[in-house]
Amino acid sequence: MNFFSFHLMPWPYLGPPREFLAEHEAAWVTLPNAFYDPMKGQALYERYLEELVDAERLGLDGVVVNEHHQNAYGLMPSPNLMAAALTRETSRVRICVLGNALPLYNPPTRVAEEMAMLDVMSGGRLIAGLVVGGGPEYYSTNVNPTDARPRFREALELVLQAWTRPGPFSFDGEYYQLPYVNPWPRPLQQPHPPVWIPGLGSPSTIAYCAERGFGYMGVAYYAPPESFGRQATAYHEAVARAGRRFDPELLGWLTTVYVADTDEQAVAEAAPHLAYFQGTLAAGFVGPGKVWMPPGYIDPPALVQFLAELRGMVERSRPDDPRQAVWRRSPLVGSPETVRTRLLAFVRELGIGTVLALLQFGSLPHDLTARSTRLYATEVVPYVRAEAQKHFRARQIGP
Amino acid sequence: MSGSVDGAAPRRVVIDVAGRAVTVLRGGVGGHLVYLHGLCDLHAIDAGERWTPFLAGLAAHFDVAAPALPGYNGSSGLEQFDDVEDYVWHLVDLFDALDVERPVVVGHSLGGWFAAEVALRRPERVAALALVDPLGLHVPGVEVPPFFGAVAPRGIGGLGEARALLFADPEGPCAVAALPDTMVRHQQLLWFGGLAGAARLGWKAPHFQSRKLAQRLGRIRVPTLVVRGGLDRLVPAATARAWAAGIPGARLTEVGGAGHCVPLESPELAAEVQVFGTGRG
Repeated sequence: MNFFSFHLMPWPYLGPPREFLAEHEAAWVTLPNAFYDPMKGQALYERYLEELVDAERLGLDGVVVNEHHQNAYGLMPSPNLMAAALTRETSRVRICVLGNALPLYNPPTRVAEEMAMLDVMSGGRLIAGLVVGGGPEYYSTNVNPTDARPRFREALELVLQAWTRPGPFSFDGEYYQLPYVNPWPRPLQQPHPPVWIPGLGSPSTIAYCAERGFGYMGVAYYAPPESFGRQATAYHEAVARAGRRFDPELLGWLTTVYVADTDEQAVAEAAPHLAYFQGTLAAGFVGPGKVWMPPGYIDPPALVQFLAELRGMVERSRPDDPRQAVWRRSPLVGSPETVRTRLLAFVRELGIGTVLALLQFGSLPHDLTARSTRLYATEVVPYVRAEAQKHFRARQIGP
Repeated sequence: MSGSVDGAAPRRVVIDVAGRAVTVLRGGVGGHLVYLHGLCDLHAIDAGERWTPFLAGLAAHFDVAAPALPGYNGSSGLEQFDDVEDYVWHLVDLFDALDVERPVVVGHSLGGWFAAEVALRRPERVAALALVDPLGLHVPGVEVPPFFGAVAPRGIGGLGEARALLFADPEGPCAVAALPDTMVRHQQLLWFGGLAGAARLGWKAPHFQSRKLAQRLGRIRVPTLVVRGGLDRLVPAATARAWAAGIPGARLTEVGGAGHCVPLESPELAAEVQVFGTGRG
């Protein structure tokens, strides 16, 4: 069982959704970068890196960073720089870059090189996340979205070959043609670092991960848990179809986590910062305003469905009982007992073996992040780890 | 293939061009005329149960064939289109498949770009060229608002920003009928499929502009009419003038009170195009 701490390194100073959306259409693509204050930015990087290092001190298994461009949602256009810092700041945990957006790199052998560097620098602790890149990033980089997916798969193939095939060799693809592929350094882990792919539930991505033996990490902070449940079920089915043995650590759940002494306290403390995360920072990636979803990035029927779900989400988010409002999208907010029980139920029901916990989200300040992280690491993780091991062993699940 | 007698009701056919399906509306009587549609037009917002008023006007005088560009309205093979050459040879093959040797070619918006690219490479296949708010021409220093940002979907609310870019009167009945704030599923599928078709070549910034076209315009040796909606925000006046100045003998005319979607906003444009094309197709 893997318990990772996942950080987006968000910009926390934009204000609550209602005020923000009255002035701005989105926190992505067009939000003026005059709002970014480099002095505050320096303090944030220090703080956020420290929060990840804390995860190692508290006994978690890994840290996760990810790539976003031209938005307030995540301040890591190059997560590899953060991962490089973490190779020096940590000594034990896995370092997961989730991930590099392959179509945005030309040639994508750049990703093979940087990730090999990270794997060597960290002594083989890298987990290589590879992603298509978010819709808004296609506007921000002007990379053509209409062939994002086939381009991604070919780039991924090129990266795997760069890691595993003795160089020099030539690569003659549809999108990339390279006469000399021969990267130095090569990764330390053999044949290559584990590959994880995050997803919002696309059936083709889930099937692809299952067929190739890649980890599938379901992003679940915008949707109710049932939606992630469907993704997990689809992954199990795809693994069975592919004739592979299910490895729980390759099925992961990205979710917000907040632990306090009581449910009431946890909900009250987390709610405004979850609202900032899901309402302010996510504006532009999801509704209610402009959704930077480029043409051809997903098929028209999938886009129509996505927009229908967005509208449904916006309509459901009308004020109701504050606890239910939080728990609908963030079930792991509560007392240690509540979070333990719920997390273990997810592990048992869905067979997930990796939890990527967003322990800092939105505008959650450092003191609350640190306290919740400590409670999670000491009061939740050891219990769930022990029970999950029993569960998987009893059912002979896993390698 | 011959035209239908009834100018008001086109036949909808799907033909095969080198393994790609192409949806074509065909009808009318007279000389051959090929209409290449625009971004917000037949095939993009309307699957083609009937002619638009503009095309009905043309079909009264010509045998009109209006193919859907790749990605639009069931025309397939979009992933095979990587550059403007692919579009040109696809359209030349399409003329053959339609059995039209030397039609009048009317291109609007996106279709105007491809019509011009065909005319400069295969002038013998184009009897006359009418370019209605054509995209495609890059004029240094002329800024164009980013189309794809304006048409990005919204969780709640509609396409007001797109209408403001494409129509002279964004909240007028013509604009609202074309791009309603709430689209039903089949309209959404048509519109999003078309946007992917537009993005295939048009995504590259500045949107819908070839850096090579300006220096090649002089090779378009066919009678050419350039029409611009006087309030078009996607094709600024300077760009329309550069089209007309670059194509030898081209005439420029402006439709006052119309935006980018002249064929929808001013169907009476058909009369002008008809006068220009008569006796040529």
